[in-house]
Amino acid sequence: MVTIEKLRNFGCNVDEGLSRCLNNESFYLRLVSSLFDDNKVQFLIDAINENDLQKAFEAAHALKGVYGNLAITPLFKVTSEITEYLREKKEMDYRPMVEKIQELYRQFVALND
Amino acid sequence: MKNISHFSEHIKRKVLIVEDEFINQQLLGNIIATAYEPVYANNGKEALEILKSGQHISLILLDLMMPVMDGYQFMNEIKEIPSLSSIPIIVLTSEKSAEIKSLQMGAQDFIVKPYDMPEIILARVARSVQLEEETEMIAKTARDPLTHLFTKSYFFEYIEEFRTANPDVIMDALFIDIKHFSLINEMYGRKVGDELLVALSKSLKGLFNKYEGIVSRIQGDIFYLYISHQKNYEKLLKRIKRETFLPEHHDLHPDFKIGVFPNCHQIESIDDAFDNACRAGKLLRGSYTESIKYYDEEMYQKELYHEKLILDMDKALVEKQFKVYLQPKYDITGDEPVLTSAEALVRWIHPVYGFISPGVFIPLFENNGLIQKLDNYIWNEVAERIGYWKKTFHKHLPVSINVSRIDVLSPGFEDFIEEVVKHNGIETKDLFLEVTESAYASDEKEINDVMIRLQNKGHLIEIDDFGTGYSSLSSLTSLTFDVLKIDMSFIRNMLKSDKNLQVVQIIISIANMFGARTIAEGVETKEQYLKLKELGCHNIQGYYFDKALPMDEFDEKYMK
Repeated sequence: MVTIEKLRNFGCNVDEGLSRCLNNESFYLRLVSSLFDDNKVQFLIDAINENDLQKAFEAAHALKGVYGNLAITPLFKVTSEITEYLREKKEMDYRPMVEKIQELYRQFVALND
Repeated sequence: MKNISHFSEHIKRKVLIVEDEFINQQLLGNIIATAYEPVYANNGKEALEILKSGQHISLILLDLMMPVMDGYQFMNEIKEIPSLSSIPIIVLTSEKSAEIKSLQMGAQDFIVKPYDMPEIILARVARSVQLEEETEMIAKTARDPLTHLFTKSYFFEYIEEFRTANPDVIMDALFIDIKHFSLINEMYGRKVGDELLVALSKSLKGLFNKYEGIVSRIQGDIFYLYISHQKNYEKLLKRIKRETFLPEHHDLHPDFKIGVFPNCHQIESIDDAFDNACRAGKLLRGSYTESIKYYDEEMYQKELYHEKLILDMDKALVEKQFKVYLQPKYDITGDEPVLTSAEALVRWIHPVYGFISPGVFIPLFENNGLIQKLDNYIWNEVAERIGYWKKTFHKHLPVSINVSRIDVLSPGFEDFIEEVVKHNGIETKDLFLEVTESAYASDEKEINDVMIRLQNKGHLIEIDDFGTGYSSLSSLTSLTFDVLKIDMSFIRNMLKSDKNLQVVQIIISIANMFGARTIAEGVETKEQYLKLKELGCHNIQGYYFDKALPMDEFDEKYMK
């Protein structure tokens, strides 16, 4: 089960996330938990592999928004970064960034164990 | 305006959250729900559907990147819908460039992502809602410049909101106007009339220190009140009577008409409630004694029926739905009663309502002047028939026709009769005029002058319903008449009550005194007939001899 403590240790700005939930912990954790079986990360990976940069941008932008609002800071940082490159449709090797996101997301999901 | 002015603060306004991300929706919804009622849409298209469904949305929180219809497209679409284009929009965005574009497209504000602290979001929402409502209020509160009361549109807007927030509060809809206000304007001048309106509106406004409600001047001297239910309005009437005065004109004591539609919380349309109050109030027109009238359904149905009859009249004339009936009049001075004339009466055979009594439509047509059209129709029908009798049966029988004071006072009346006589090849002595005693009540001299001229031309003048009106013996001396018709109410009771018998005797003696004849109306029995003969009455009409018959039946029975 994910806890406030685990999220804090993962690097989340829990206080900020909680305050957006009017300091309702269970509401906050319920929203965070809904990210564990989210397929948006896979969606982003697929789009990058297909080299569909518009689709990848939309996925990254959506992830960034949600991570930002729930203050999942490590994931917010990496998705923000890739979103800006994708917004410019920059031709570059996105794989290192995607792998980083994948790794952080794996660690994040593990918080629920 | 005690509580009503504050109730709107207690209504939860609806905020539409247009956002495709479930988590963002939930976060915003949770914050918004502390002060508003959140409504959700997953994209621009869904949002438009919700808005078009008629839900009153006070503000839209709009994400820009969404599937199906994005925020930009949504803003473009809503701009084109007048009823929705004024709803404030706050854009949710994380991009500086998007902020500028959104503002250019008409967004009022933006909220950055990740979201600001909830307090900031709420403050921005509140500010936008308030700004919009104030603009709207200013447009609607344009107050009546004379009385400073709320305008009609604002009045009704407020009531709608009040009803939404307080569906169970029992309220009444009132119509109030000043009796004979145009007369006051004419006698004292418009300025005094206006001052009176101001005094009345002050008094009405003052009511709401005590009662809950709101008042508006609708037009002229018509005021509408939306007021907490009262058992009766006598006290309220007394109060506004006492308070509506002008110090410089203490002789001016205006009276009021109040129409009440009670318990208007039960009716769906508030406009209908006030229309009904208005109808009730207008029924008091011309009444000097009554000032308060409650609406009732039966009254309304009757009014509708009357309106329908008035509307149907022209068509009825063209289609000859009005049927002239003739009732024989007998001379009873000889050994045997002799048919000497007839009275023309009218019936309306309506295609929908069937037989309509003249007691219903004649007063209706007398009130609005339509009676003249009907009377002209009867004159033509009767004159034509008399001409037909002459030609076909070589018989001569005069017919009396009822005339109303409107006929008599209309400028072309005498020429019209002359033309009718000429056109049908008959003589003036063939047409008698029956004028009710009450027709003389006003314009006595003018009416009598016309009667003198018609009498001089050869028409016979009968005074109808004699004894029931206002005429005094002194006015009888100045009136021109050949016949007094004794009202049937006296005949009906003359064998039951001595007083009635004496009245009949007196009328006969008066007629004799003036050298006139008498006709008794409504004679139904042989006893009545014999008594009248004994008293020296000249003519009788009534069921004892015959009822009024359609003209063809009359011909069949009396002409062939």
